[in-house]
Amino acid sequence: MTDNVDFKQYWNKQKIQIPAVEELIKKANQFKRKTRFKLIATNLILLATCIVIGSVWLYYQPEFLTTKIGIVLCIIAMLVYLAFHNTLAPLLLKHSIEVDTKTQLQELLTLKEKQRFQQTTLLNGYFILLSTGLSLYMYEYVVRMTLPWFIFSYGIVLFWIGLNAFYFRPKMIKKQEAQLNKLIAQLKKLNKQLID
Amino acid sequence: MTFEEIHKAYWPKVYRQCIGYMNDPDIAKDLAQETFIKVWQQLPKFRNESSISTWIFRIAVNICLRQIEKDKRMPKSEFPKGMVAEVPVNNEPEVQFLYQCISELPEIERIIISLELEELKQKEIATIVGLSESNVRVKIHRIKEKLTKKFQQNDR
Repeated sequence: MTDNVDFKQYWNKQKIQIPAVEELIKKANQFKRKTRFKLIATNLILLATCIVIGSVWLYYQPEFLTTKIGIVLCIIAMLVYLAFHNTLAPLLLKHSIEVDTKTQLQELLTLKEKQRFQQTTLLNGYFILLSTGLSLYMYEYVVRMTLPWFIFSYGIVLFWIGLNAFYFRPKMIKKQEAQLNKLIAQLKKLNKQLID
Repeated sequence: MTFEEIHKAYWPKVYRQCIGYMNDPDIAKDLAQETFIKVWQQLPKFRNESSISTWIFRIAVNICLRQIEKDKRMPKSEFPKGMVAEVPVNNEPEVQFLYQCISELPEIERIIISLELEELKQKEIATIVGLSESNVRVKIHRIKEKLTKKFQQNDR
């Protein structure tokens, strides 16, 4: 029976092939371009939507105050989302990968707990602003319709809002929370391993 | 040191670190690649505050640890097959057994023993994981005992 196994000897015998460095650099560049493209695309889409909504104000000259408030609320909702997406999110996600394990685990833990809170708050805020904005915005146009059309139009919009509020939103929040909770539990387990 | 030199000198070390952590050549390859992509991105900002070896191992260890949050962030398909020639898995049985035993340890122990087997000084390991040197020494002793026991059981 062996008492003194030479682990190092076995460790170094692991077969390894070194990949070409050029391929690696090429991949790294592609990955960077892809990430940047995603960021720019989200910005362009939401900004274009803001401009379209904004131009309604300019071209159709709404008379009711509700329409104007509605437009402003929708734009605020989208800008808040963009602000988070562009500045806060990368800040949250980008933390040093060059720190020691102990610090890394603690940072990740704080970050995930913060993220859990912010994702829910942000999603709720975005949703409330957008729904209120939309309802106010359409009032001016719907009020000119006959009663059945008025009920039909608001009915559809309220149904859609309700579906989001009571079905999609809780589902999304629950999914995000479940993921984060699982991760937080794992991180705590790792932290415990380190201290033990 | 240029990136090319670093890549050549450290790829085997980082790869062993990753395969010690996961014991799966495909995942280890992905983790090692991700480590070097980070190294490539961060190298211009590296200011010799720590030794280059400590810096690279810290990145590799953190990438391994963050494997848990990465079900979809960088899917395997990001790296097309053939980027790295397939590693033939015809290691000796003892080699395979060692890597298997290590991958069965708790995560932090996997990291510490891999660094130890890579012949890093205990002081450097302590800086990489953020524990005291004496703490690291105790842990290494305990892990080696565990591994020896497994080898002995395997011998019988």
